[in-house]
Amino acid sequence: MTATRIEYHAPSTLAQAVALLEEHGHAAAPLAGGTDLVPALKHGVLQARHLVSLARIPGHREIAITADGGLSIGAFATLADVARSPLVGAVCPALAEAAVQAGSPLLRNRGTLGGNVCLDTRCWYYNQTEAWRASRPPCQKAGGQQCYVNQKQNVCVALFSADTPAVLITVGARATLAGPAGERAVPVEALYSGEGLQPLAKSGAEILTEIAVPAPPARSGTAYLKHSPRDSIDFPLLGIAAAVALSGGGTIASARIALTGARSAPCRLPELEAALAGGPVPAAGDRELAQLATRSLGALFLTDAVPHKRRLAGLMAVDAVERAAALAQGWRTR
Amino acid sequence: MKELVQLSVNGQTHDLVVRPERTLLDVLREDLGLTGSKRGCDLGACGACAVLLDGRPVSSCLTLAVEASGHEIVTVEGLARGGGLHPVQEAFVEHGAVQCGFCTPGMLITVTALLDERPEPTEAEILEALSGNLCRCTGYVKVLDAVRTAIRRMRQPGLPGSVAPEVRA
Repeated sequence: MTATRIEYHAPSTLAQAVALLEEHGHAAAPLAGGTDLVPALKHGVLQARHLVSLARIPGHREIAITADGGLSIGAFATLADVARSPLVGAVCPALAEAAVQAGSPLLRNRGTLGGNVCLDTRCWYYNQTEAWRASRPPCQKAGGQQCYVNQKQNVCVALFSADTPAVLITVGARATLAGPAGERAVPVEALYSGEGLQPLAKSGAEILTEIAVPAPPARSGTAYLKHSPRDSIDFPLLGIAAAVALSGGGTIASARIALTGARSAPCRLPELEAALAGGPVPAAGDRELAQLATRSLGALFLTDAVPHKRRLAGLMAVDAVERAAALAQGWRTR
Repeated sequence: MKELVQLSVNGQTHDLVVRPERTLLDVLREDLGLTGSKRGCDLGACGACAVLLDGRPVSSCLTLAVEASGHEIVTVEGLARGGGLHPVQEAFVEHGAVQCGFCTPGMLITVTALLDERPEPTEAEILEALSGNLCRCTGYVKVLDAVRTAIRRMRQPGLPGSVAPEVRA
């Protein structure tokens, strides 16, 4: 039983679902797999009074190869479907790696790709029971005035911790949103505001319906590395995705690196990307590049060990690039 | 507003009126008296509440009862066949894969789903399938022994199962 009393809506079309979300505004939330929403309801941190279920809306669950050799993935597809799809494995192996490392088998059978992409930010002071949170004034994300992590600037720094978006950003995936004004497609990277309080740069009445992954360029590879306390169930303390394309001569033509679990949005590492472009494939554990990546991260506001996470991010970023490049070196014309 | 739901549980249909914020686990345990599915963490992190939803294992503590309406649900009470235990249940008993027993229903559900999908899973596939079920007693050794025995039994019914050789890597 959740802490919040709710009204349940089960529309049978996308248009009805959008209309319901628009009608109830901040009091409404879309319900897909519910694996993140239901715990938030139980904790009493999600104040939605109206749940708009997406379960009875047909479609948006298919995974297909597009005409140009990219991927089209319905946002209501479960993480289990994404993880086990041979099409995802062939076109974007890192996406399958990220999906299979999200949560546990039980959670992946319910949780959806769209839900993972739209995951709310998390914080030690927010994702707690009402009894736990009652011991102090509520934090900003829970409706109060204070951020207990970033007390100086007093701006919410809740962390974005989903696994799949980092990969989607590195491969230049686009998201289709259905809203009151019709459909629009944006780069996945543009879905995030960077703010802990409202992590998504979309209106509450917009529903994510599809993820489009472009065809991978020749001699390219992708990788996703995750660091978490346990190999299952946990959110990443840090997740790093890399997409690397090699030139004919074997140097790096382009590298895109994104990380999750360090800021309020998944973020790129542009300095590392620039340093790698045109150069040789780095060896795993290349300290110079790792230090450059760590320095480029800037300040982090975390409840856990910041220096540790910064160093780890640098090392993991270089390892992810090396792994993606190894796949690119084994590229076969398909 | 209460909602009308029709739950098919272990082959039996139940018409119920439930508040929409109640989970499938709440309704199974409190309304239908099926207390086999356990409330562990109540947040989807332990697997003790696992049930089959259309054949796939899911956390019933995170599934709203209204969302399960019209779907086929199997709980640990529905695993036994023809008056006898399911081979997976038998193997758990035989190997002492049950200590305090709290995680056992979820484990049985997960393993049954795995063997329905892959009758001859690799060692890695068994570990992966069980990676959402936490146990704080057995250390998983006897659980894995029981799974290996169940695999052999289901391949060759009537096989004694006191020794569990490694399955193929």
